[in-house]
Amino acid sequence: MTDLNINRRQFLGGTLGLAAGAGALAACGSPDAGGGTSTSPSAAASTSRPPIASEPGKMSLLEWAGYEAAGTKAQTAGMTVAGADYIKKYGPDSVTYTYIENDDQALQKATASGGFDVMHPCFENYQDYVDRGLVQPWDLNLIPSAADIDPGLLAKGTTDGKTYMLPWDWGYGSLTYRTDHVDAADATGWELAWNPKYAGRVSLWGGASTNFEIAAIKNGIQDMDHLTPDQLETCKQDLIKQKPLNKFYWDSEYGQMQPAIKSGTVWIAYSWQDTLVSMKSAGVPVAYLDPSQGRIAWFCGFMLGKDTQNYYHAHEYVESFLNKAACAQMTNAYAYGTSNSKVTSADITDKTLAESLHIDNLAALTGPTVHLQSYNPERAKVLAAWQQVKAS
Amino acid sequence: MSRSTSRRVGGQGLWVWPPVAFVLVLVVVPLVYIALFSVGLRSNIPGTKTAFDLSNWKDFLFGENNPFRALFWHSLLITVLVSVAVTIAAYPLAYFLSFVAKKNRYTLLLLVLAPFFTSFLLRVIAWQIILNENGVVNSFLWWAHLRPQGDSVTWLIYSNFSVALVLFYSWIPFVALPMFVVMENMDRRLLEAAEDLGASRLTAFLKVTLPLSIPGIIAGFVFVLIPTTGEFITPLLVGGPESQLFGNQIQSFFSDSPDWNYGSVLAMTLILLVLILMVIFGRFLSADLRRPSTEGA
Repeated sequence: MTDLNINRRQFLGGTLGLAAGAGALAACGSPDAGGGTSTSPSAAASTSRPPIASEPGKMSLLEWAGYEAAGTKAQTAGMTVAGADYIKKYGPDSVTYTYIENDDQALQKATASGGFDVMHPCFENYQDYVDRGLVQPWDLNLIPSAADIDPGLLAKGTTDGKTYMLPWDWGYGSLTYRTDHVDAADATGWELAWNPKYAGRVSLWGGASTNFEIAAIKNGIQDMDHLTPDQLETCKQDLIKQKPLNKFYWDSEYGQMQPAIKSGTVWIAYSWQDTLVSMKSAGVPVAYLDPSQGRIAWFCGFMLGKDTQNYYHAHEYVESFLNKAACAQMTNAYAYGTSNSKVTSADITDKTLAESLHIDNLAALTGPTVHLQSYNPERAKVLAAWQQVKAS
Repeated sequence: MSRSTSRRVGGQGLWVWPPVAFVLVLVVVPLVYIALFSVGLRSNIPGTKTAFDLSNWKDFLFGENNPFRALFWHSLLITVLVSVAVTIAAYPLAYFLSFVAKKNRYTLLLLVLAPFFTSFLLRVIAWQIILNENGVVNSFLWWAHLRPQGDSVTWLIYSNFSVALVLFYSWIPFVALPMFVVMENMDRRLLEAAEDLGASRLTAFLKVTLPLSIPGIIAGFVFVLIPTTGEFITPLLVGGPESQLFGNQIQSFFSDSPDWNYGSVLAMTLILLVLILMVIFGRFLSADLRRPSTEGA
């Protein structure tokens, strides 16, 4: 009979052999061995696809919390229109959501895990998704409401005549502050987040790039997404200085930041304008800062996974979000602007809010008093600097 | 070797392979993978050219004012302090259970362990509720008029204090358990002999009980030191920006602002540290725990 006992030497030998094998496998499977692989639009267009009935139908989505399709268990924010048509047709279990906490993390999730049928990143990362070959172009003929998307925004999501991003929502980034705790005289610009008077009562977002954009705007740097090495260092040092003033860097808008403002734990937080709406409806005295240096602005849109097996399902899904009724409800629910040019002031219920935020006017997105978040070719340097801020 | 013994030993050999395969696939292979990232042979960003590169290691180990290295030492200090505190606090608990509680000791031990039958995550979240500015502690202070209504103790949460407190709470039973086991196995006749020879209770404790329980103390210390070295959930949920530990930084490198190459350097450093600790304390424990507890007194 063979003696199957192993001694330490044999065990070590086997282990090292397996480890070496793993190393070899890892090297062979390197996705980067051949350099960048952007999807070829022509190749994507010419691919013959199975009919929708032959698709698996279970879609995986990379999405922000609150934007889940109506009719799913995940949708708890009261959005009853967006996605409703799709869910009625295919059932609430036809979609699974993975959540985005911040843009940098979303890109990482899309890159590392892949396999998403539809993603909802923001414009600042558009080029990253295209360059990394994570997405393929949409077929606009399959999405009737695509014709209603503002042409200027649609153009930003288009490269070489192929539309990779279908813009849906847009808005601002600024500081929401408790008017019962923060002196109005202090609430003039982004320096409010650096005011030592409010130490321990501030909460910036965990979004690395955004914090550097904030620091850049505060320091009067005009092109917040193209920082020189000196400017990057200035912003880094400024964020290190600001760090102790934070109660925490928030990751979850609904689970962390909004409850903290509501309870009074945090008085000043980076947020989008939906926080203003949520807090006001909860009776919390807040205001949304209109900084002297200008607000941050953003827009986000749907992107189609490169390897999706649900090509036609994905098109139907985004149509159920891009139609006018869905866009109008999104605007009314969150006070975000919409890319759908058919939505007008008449569709917005809170006229005062609409006027104060200009959400009925897409031109506000690119106006002189806002800084639209855009592609940063040196993002890796910004992310590295952010890690240093966190460790400092 | 007899035929029957040979068959038995051969069978045992077969059963070794499933756990070995488990360890190889789920521990060794990922470690090799992380090591490849740490030296630039892999990248998480498609399109990045990969080549053997030690620059991240050099930067971490020798870079001037490297914040990650500083965080490593800071985290290690916190971990050691927490481990020492937990070990000191757990000793009387183990002593009480073993020497004072007598008949009820296993019931009491079960009570000590009871909260730990629930999820670790839930327990940390429960601490959030207790320590929050509108939480149980502050509400009590307001109710008892020890502080004006609405004036909360802000450092109770999102601070070094809250991180240390929750770590302390989380590990006490696990540290007390090995101490309790060692004390239970102690030969009580030695204590009687010490008393017969005129030793006071304190002297008997210092000269008999304490030396004999050292293996349990070391085991308990290791039980808390090694896991807390890589701790990140507790600082994530109850810590503030200034109280994040090395584990949080690693997590951040792999998720929030991804640079898996640098993150792998940090992860490998932590793994090496844990291995060193295991080797050091493993030798201690194998030397001490195998010895009958009556020896060395």
